[in-house]
Amino acid sequence: MALFAAAEWFSKGTSLLMARPYLIGMILAGISMYLMLPPGSNRRRTAGSIIGILSLGFFCAKLGAGKLDVLAVFWILASVTLVSAAATVTSRNPVYCALWFGMTLLGTAGLFLFSGAQFLAVATIVVYAGAILVTFLFVLMLATPTGASVPDRLSWEPMLSAATGAVLVGVLTMTLGGLLLQTPATQADREQVMLANEHMAQIGGELFGRHLVSVEIGATLLMVALVGATAIVAHSKEHVPSKGS
Amino acid sequence: MPEDVLLNHYLLVGAMLFAIGLVGFLSRRNMIVMFLSAEMMLQAVAVNLVAFGRYHNDWGGQILTIFVIAVAACEAAIALALVMVLFRRSGSLDITFWQQIREEGVPPYVDQAVPESTLAPPSWPHLIPAGIEPPQPVLDQPDNDRPNQPRERTHV
Repeated sequence: MALFAAAEWFSKGTSLLMARPYLIGMILAGISMYLMLPPGSNRRRTAGSIIGILSLGFFCAKLGAGKLDVLAVFWILASVTLVSAAATVTSRNPVYCALWFGMTLLGTAGLFLFSGAQFLAVATIVVYAGAILVTFLFVLMLATPTGASVPDRLSWEPMLSAATGAVLVGVLTMTLGGLLLQTPATQADREQVMLANEHMAQIGGELFGRHLVSVEIGATLLMVALVGATAIVAHSKEHVPSKGS
Repeated sequence: MPEDVLLNHYLLVGAMLFAIGLVGFLSRRNMIVMFLSAEMMLQAVAVNLVAFGRYHNDWGGQILTIFVIAVAACEAAIALALVMVLFRRSGSLDITFWQQIREEGVPPYVDQAVPESTLAPPSWPHLIPAGIEPPQPVLDQPDNDRPNQPRERTHV
């Protein structure tokens, strides 16, 4: 609700800041990321998250309003994704980071499902959250350093990296709302093609019809990666220095 | 609802996910968390692709996302293998350990004012012993053949 009120208020402005609310959002997003990165105390992290949510409101102000129920469901999924993403990047315990990333993957799977990409939603959960994330957790288990873990309590150049991220989001948001006048597909067309009943059959037909060579190359790539990963680990020499370093 | 409104919202979410991943990659020192941020950037690209696929009613967005997931899996395998090798050599997941490959003329990054660990030490709850004590095995004499195993009760 507050977002749409802000949208109305901003659409009437003509000065630099009023016509471009993403500039304010950009500054706020940069400040919030800087506050949340380690070494952030709990109070800084809370302040950072509140400022982050405010900046999200500023970014959305000029995107245009549509059907509220559709956008409400979309923003429930999107806010789960974005909050988990921010928590992934700013957690101090790396296992927490991996678990928050799992939540981010669930959020993006929900976004895929919202677009009608049913296979991709399930594939994300099965492959990404089920295989890649578990591999991460295995490596975290095997590679836990003994003693104090300094790398998790500090971040290098938090101000510069937060500024870079904020500028990137600002620049990317500048282009929104000005899409070239193409003729987008209507919902009726979509019902025919993308949202039709046999989703798996159609994706399979496209994948193995138009993109057959890419599928074969992708399979070869997977095998090469498997062999390469095994070869890298098998031939490494063990050399752990003394604990005083 | 005009068609490009939802597309704009999708693109905004993709952009923010990408920027959050970028910030994480640039600022975190743990190699695993850096790599998680890189995977998050790939996921943001996937969100954008699916949004455009939906907007143009074209299967190409989803197909390319399938390939992005496959390539991300390969990249995860090799990157984690490399992280394991680096961990074996250095004993820590800190990427500042390998600073000597930086550019010439850039001073090294030295830790200053490391904050104390604010994670509380694990405190285990104190449980009151409850229940019936189970029957203990009878140990008449220590058995040299099976020194650690309780002998069976052969007499009642």
